[in-house]
Amino acid sequence: MPASPPSGSPAPLSLSQIETRFRNRIWRGDALGASDDPVISSGFQGLDKELPGGGWPTRNLTELLLPTEGLGEIRLLSYALEEITRSERNILLIAPPYIPYMHAWEHLGIDGRHIVMVRACKPAERLWTLEQGIRSAAFGTIIGWLPEASQQATRKLQILSRTAASLVFLFRPARARFEPSAAPLRILLSPVRGHSHTLSLYLLKRRGAPFVLPIRIPLPQAAVFSRSAELKSPPIHSYC
Amino acid sequence: MLWIALYFPALSLDWIERRFPEALIPAIGVTVRKGNQICIQQANKPAQARGVMAGQPLASALAVFPDLVIMEQDPREEGKALQQAVYAALRFTPNIAVQNNGLIAEVSGSLKLFGSLKKLCQSLNRVVTAQGLQLSAGIAPTATAAWLLARSAQQGTVINGKGEEFRILLDALPVGLLESAQPHLEVIRGIGCKTLADLRRLPRSGVARRFGPDLPVELDRAYGDSPDPQKWFEAPEDFQQKIKMMGLIENAELLLVPAQRMVEQMCGWLALRHAAVSAFSFVLHHEYSLRQPHKFTSVNIRLSEQSSDPAHLMLLLREHLERTKIVAPVCELELTADEIAAGADGNLELFPTVQSGTTSLNRFIEKLSSRLGPEAITGLKVISDHRPEYSQRLELSGTGGLNCFSKREANSQIIPPESPRPAWLMKIPLELKVQRGRPVYESPLKLLAGPERIEAGWWDEVAVARDYFIAENNQGQLLWIYREHNPVEKDKGNKGGNWYLQGLFG
Repeated sequence: MPASPPSGSPAPLSLSQIETRFRNRIWRGDALGASDDPVISSGFQGLDKELPGGGWPTRNLTELLLPTEGLGEIRLLSYALEEITRSERNILLIAPPYIPYMHAWEHLGIDGRHIVMVRACKPAERLWTLEQGIRSAAFGTIIGWLPEASQQATRKLQILSRTAASLVFLFRPARARFEPSAAPLRILLSPVRGHSHTLSLYLLKRRGAPFVLPIRIPLPQAAVFSRSAELKSPPIHSYC
Repeated sequence: MLWIALYFPALSLDWIERRFPEALIPAIGVTVRKGNQICIQQANKPAQARGVMAGQPLASALAVFPDLVIMEQDPREEGKALQQAVYAALRFTPNIAVQNNGLIAEVSGSLKLFGSLKKLCQSLNRVVTAQGLQLSAGIAPTATAAWLLARSAQQGTVINGKGEEFRILLDALPVGLLESAQPHLEVIRGIGCKTLADLRRLPRSGVARRFGPDLPVELDRAYGDSPDPQKWFEAPEDFQQKIKMMGLIENAELLLVPAQRMVEQMCGWLALRHAAVSAFSFVLHHEYSLRQPHKFTSVNIRLSEQSSDPAHLMLLLREHLERTKIVAPVCELELTADEIAAGADGNLELFPTVQSGTTSLNRFIEKLSSRLGPEAITGLKVISDHRPEYSQRLELSGTGGLNCFSKREANSQIIPPESPRPAWLMKIPLELKVQRGRPVYESPLKLLAGPERIEAGWWDEVAVARDYFIAENNQGQLLWIYREHNPVEKDKGNKGGNWYLQGLFG
């Protein structure tokens, strides 16, 4: 015998009612995604405006695709890293391609005492270290260089990152833009011809409407470079 | 007062079974001598499946299943197994009284720390079961009642007699559970007493006269009508446990289960002393043989920060064991707490603080260095030197460089912020090719700024004199390159030395 429908069956909800009821769980595809995860400002207004939540997202994986080192990738992150070390939290660097030059990092305001570096050559070791770093409560930022990472690996890292209150950045080569990845934010970095201290960022993937145009951001310390460029006679640092 | 009693009905079997790797447990029968006959006292599941039963004479058991492994009951080994269970349980409360084939733990002080009675009881059961013992548990406001309930419970179950309920539960228990009733069981049954309630209904003076004064006293203690003092377990001053293995083990994986048990025991012992371990050693004893000279392999583990967390210690031990080569079959394991420090067990912090951050950093360092080696994880220390190669030092985590963040040195700022420095340094400066007078890296370089002269180090062996430039290549990389400056060469008409790439402006 078919059960009679309950007498007080709820009337179907209108779209606006649904939206108000599940406000935090629905985003419209055309709006910039917002999230409850705390963010750390990138320090660049133009970039913050386009990032969901208005800054680098914590609890999420952020993939930075880099054609080659030396474009200003650390200067791009420097404001956030400065913020992290100022609140006495540590930065974990996993398998950086070169040795970080602490004097330069200090000039960017990053406290070098809070930097921990891990050398790991094998991809499996790098992944393991990343996982351990994300799991540990010790780090405010985890930056890993992962030339090769499968989609499963990024998904695992993203799921882990959901539980950690830290920024997780993955530096990957530019060719990885054609590989699928579970990171909710993917940014391709590229230099701007003729402007050495400008970086153009392509938001390949973000929560919310896609953003096609590159964002140009002026890197910090450009003034330092131009000032030193004016120097004609070499300043001599010596203890003679 | 609140008591949890754990009863190990199969202790005489369990201590044998747990020496085998789990997959290889044979059919075992434990024998006991009754008069001039040897009987099976307990048989494990594989033996029962073959038809061996408790109470069978040994001869008929062997007739049923000739391959039965026979062990004589060994009260000493049982006592050891019991003691190890007590060690493991010490993590939950310092007040534990050892019983015959069981233990009684007073837990009223531990309820808040472990959340609730239910959670506490579950974790206590889990930890003791992990020691390889089958158990049944009872909870009651008096020790004797908890013990009686535990013994009446089905194996693997808990009888909860919290509050006043325990009297009702006790009423229904059979008289046979009472210790002091054992010699008089026949008579008690003969007069129609089956349960404790029946016994309590009898006149007290008559019971005392007929069955001895102990019986009413035991009843009173169980029902909470008279005080019930317990003798607490006292742990020795140092921790050293050995576990014999029944088989010869050549696989490190199979050592992990007994190792886990020993670590749990150590952590219980540490909890009792409010201590934490800062160095411990795990020794694999090999079977003695003339052909192989190795008597034992020792795995020594030193922690950067003392810990009493079994999960953390086990993780370290596991990583070390995986890197240890087992040269010969192992027959015995030994765990010793070498260095004990005062326990700095963290309070349950609401928010992560700098203190807990340091602790987790130390844990992280230990975890990593036990897998990747201690030199894999470093910090960087800034040194006041203009030469890039000497302006910083890698600090190994083990030297304590990472543990105590030193004061930020004021003179680390000797390089004025006006002079740009690259975020990345090459390990060794890379010599650049020169095409038509221009240095080349990927493409011919365009010099953007410079030169900046760095001339230092004449006081030690490696004096440098270099002119640094900032250069850019076609790919947009900003490079920090230098040319060796040699005044003598220059005078000879040679225009400067070789070009080197030293860093990248990341």
